[in-house]
Amino acid sequence: MVMNTQFKKGVLELCVLALLDRKDCYGYEMVDEISKNISISEGTIYPLLKRLKNEGFVISYLKESPDGPPRKYYRLTDLGKKKKDKLVDEWGEFSMGVNNLLYSKITNNLGDIKDE
Amino acid sequence: MNKEEYLKKLTKLIYKLPKEDRQDILSDYEEHFMIGLEKGRTEEEISMALGDPKTVAKQIKAEYMVKKAEDKPSASSITRAIMAAAGLGIFNLLFFVLPTVVLTMVILALFVLGGAMVFGGILIILSSIFQPFYHNVQILTNDGGILSSLGGLAGGIGLAILGSVLLVGMTYVARWFYGLIIRYLKLNLKIIQEQKMV
Repeated sequence: MVMNTQFKKGVLELCVLALLDRKDCYGYEMVDEISKNISISEGTIYPLLKRLKNEGFVISYLKESPDGPPRKYYRLTDLGKKKKDKLVDEWGEFSMGVNNLLYSKITNNLGDIKDE
Repeated sequence: MNKEEYLKKLTKLIYKLPKEDRQDILSDYEEHFMIGLEKGRTEEEISMALGDPKTVAKQIKAEYMVKKAEDKPSASSITRAIMAAAGLGIFNLLFFVLPTVVLTMVILALFVLGGAMVFGGILIILSSIFQPFYHNVQILTNDGGILSSLGGLAGGIGLAILGSVLLVGMTYVARWFYGLIIRYLKLNLKIIQEQKMV
């Protein structure tokens, strides 16, 4: 269980950066988009956004909203873009490695397919 | 839990943070509630999805304390940062705190030793100077001969200089040690949020 939550938290940063790479978003929008795909504890996104802001990966600004008070939008910085690219690469390698382990046939040293 | 209860609970849990930061954080959660309500969710649903305010507050506090200890180095700010990070359960408090406390003690002891050397050196210098004049004041040297006074003077100066060097050296060691703790804490915060892929 613990491992599982920690794992999700790690992926959360990648998801946030990837979403912001497409367009500027406000917090709720990102939560909405992410929880369509992964179940997350929605409250953890704000401390994460704060850290990303402190580290210079994103900036925030207020923008008027048609149906209510202004919302806090986040935008990816150049530094954030680099970070996102790096994380996407790492994720690609990692998931490919895991998929290989999960779905490829077990082979012996000669490359022959073993009986199950 | 409804919106008011949730925000009240969160406010209570982060009351130690400066007003500005607190308001900034609370406005994020207020905005979250507002938009959620617009989208037709109930306050209870939103609270539930946000997660336990305690967990949220712990994360906020750890983030804040480590940043503060980095910006404004002091013994109390680093202690708070360590405690806040420990609250997240990201490292075993005992394994981290014990070596930290021991090393801090050693550094402090060396500081005291340096101070004592400087103080002792000055005392010897003074006694060497005044002994020839006040024969009844016998602090460190036994006889009041001019030669032993000069010897005492040299020894005193030497001791004071050695103590000063130790003090200056220890300032550097202390600063390096502080930076090391900060780096360790930041690494841990990153790991818990990022859980780096391999």
